[in-house]
Amino acid sequence: MATLKISDLHVEVEGKEILNGVTTQISEGETVALLGPNGHGKSTLLNVIMGHPRYKITQGTLLLDDVDITNMTTDERAKAGLFLALQNPAEVPGVINSDFLRAAVNATREEKVSTYKFYKMLDSATKELKMPFDLATRSLNEGFSGGEKKRNEILQLLLLEPKIAMLDEIDSGLDVDAIQIVADVIKKEEEKGMGFLVISHYARLFDLIKPTRAIVMINGRIVLDGDTSLIKRIDQTGYEFIKTELGIEIEKENANMNTVSIGTCAVKETIKK
Amino acid sequence: MKEIVLNQDLEYRCSSSEKELTFNVASNSDVSLLLSDIEEMELLNFEVSDNATLHLAIFAQKFLKNVKITANIGENSKIIVYFADFTVERNHLDASINLNKDNARAEWHLASLSTQKDDKEIAVNIYHNSPNTHGRIDNYGVCKENSKLIFAGISHIIKGCHQSTSHQNAKIVVFDDDCKAIARPILKIDENDIEASHAAVVGKVNDEHIFYLTSRGLSVEDAKLLITLGYLKPILKGFNEQVREQINSLIEGRL
Ligand SMILES: Nc1ncnc2c1ncn2[C@@H]1O[C@H](COP(=O)(O)OP(=O)(O)O)[C@@H](O)[C@H]1O
Ligand SMILES: [Mg+2]
Repeated sequence: MATLKISDLHVEVEGKEILNGVTTQISEGETVALLGPNGHGKSTLLNVIMGHPRYKITQGTLLLDDVDITNMTTDERAKAGLFLALQNPAEVPGVINSDFLRAAVNATREEKVSTYKFYKMLDSATKELKMPFDLATRSLNEGFSGGEKKRNEILQLLLLEPKIAMLDEIDSGLDVDAIQIVADVIKKEEEKGMGFLVISHYARLFDLIKPTRAIVMINGRIVLDGDTSLIKRIDQTGYEFIKTELGIEIEKENANMNTVSIGTCAVKETIKK
Repeated sequence: MKEIVLNQDLEYRCSSSEKELTFNVASNSDVSLLLSDIEEMELLNFEVSDNATLHLAIFAQKFLKNVKITANIGENSKIIVYFADFTVERNHLDASINLNKDNARAEWHLASLSTQKDDKEIAVNIYHNSPNTHGRIDNYGVCKENSKLIFAGISHIIKGCHQSTSHQNAKIVVFDDDCKAIARPILKIDENDIEASHAAVVGKVNDEHIFYLTSRGLSVEDAKLLITLGYLKPILKGFNEQVREQINSLIEGRL
């Protein structure tokens, strides 16, 4: 069984330490909810796991199936079975979505798939996601709506079949029906053995995908690791109990936080006091 | 000057003895012209009469000394140009399209690959000489090694040419530090009641784009290649299957 082990990870960007000692693990067939106020390092953690060159690991290790991937390039990590659905997928003009998808499918498999097989895969994945096939023939994400971009991320997940998939706010920009479709994909792939690390600010997605565990990131560290009752608690009361019960001061707040999301109101109040 | 009347689709190879050529498109016709071997040309002129459409595809793959393209577009008429610039060494091109009457339209698409010691200067001008005229210029370039690539040109809407639209887009992706790439399209507008936009981007391949593609398993080199092809490949849709294959193999050979 594939397991991603993160040990004592310290990460800097532009000389500023953002993660200071993250330790946790995610296994195949398990869905882990990653919670935390905005600006506390959740996206950074996912990007670092995927090998984003802008982030510098100053200490700690990443192991996948006991293989050290800390110094692997991003494409090597993708080939090893990691996947990241981005919070804000880039628009890449001129690159035809299906050309990109096909290059990605071929890069992550031992054997190249035939044109015929690729189009069959594409056809069935777009149907599963109720995506218009025409999106596959357009420029990658260019002019896509927010929801179409997010579906296109899940389309890539279906085609690449990673071992561990990380989803960064996949539900933002999706309407209720689309969230249901994405949740169905997650459940189905989880049953087949995929592992998930999921960031979301909305209890709705977690209600549908029923994570196996929840972890909470505050100040660039995982401060809580527990069952899914944590999600409910944070949804109802915010993050204040972390201060009162664990004595951890919540350091900062991102100015453009989403006011209707899990826990943020409580954070605001904590900071005002 | 030699004149050719276009009343049906034509593939035309210029010969080295001709320096100047005029193509006349008759009223009420809709024709396609594929031009090749234009290296020795000095002037290519297109007269598009009223209610006519000219689909012009130019494939240049040697050098261009100093070629001038001019076009005069009549009422309710249209010129659609696809220019695939795979010239080597030198390309000094100056194109001017005159939109002379009501509802005259011009669409210009160019893709240019500049490598090694190439020296390219491409100016595309559209003159809006009548109200309700519409122009669009899309110049895309890839600049590598020690080469020089300049996109210039003016879109000029003169006073009184209301309800005209003019859009310009110039983009160059730069590979090496020794490249010289400049995009400086100019909009000159002497009328208020119009719609115009222009964008000029010169830069290296975006790091976030590379991260995105590599996060799906593509190597950095393959990611760059795919992104670069994205600048050049859109030109293919202006050409027939045979020329497409030639262009494709030129791209693959030189990138
Ligand atoms: N590329 C970057 N350059 C500079 N600062 C960054 C960069 N990425 C993240 N940060 C900073 O790191 C902190 C954590 O950001 P992020 O990981 O996006 O948080 P979250 O996903 O939890 O909202 C923030 O203060 C953010 O401004
Ligand atoms: Mg984030």
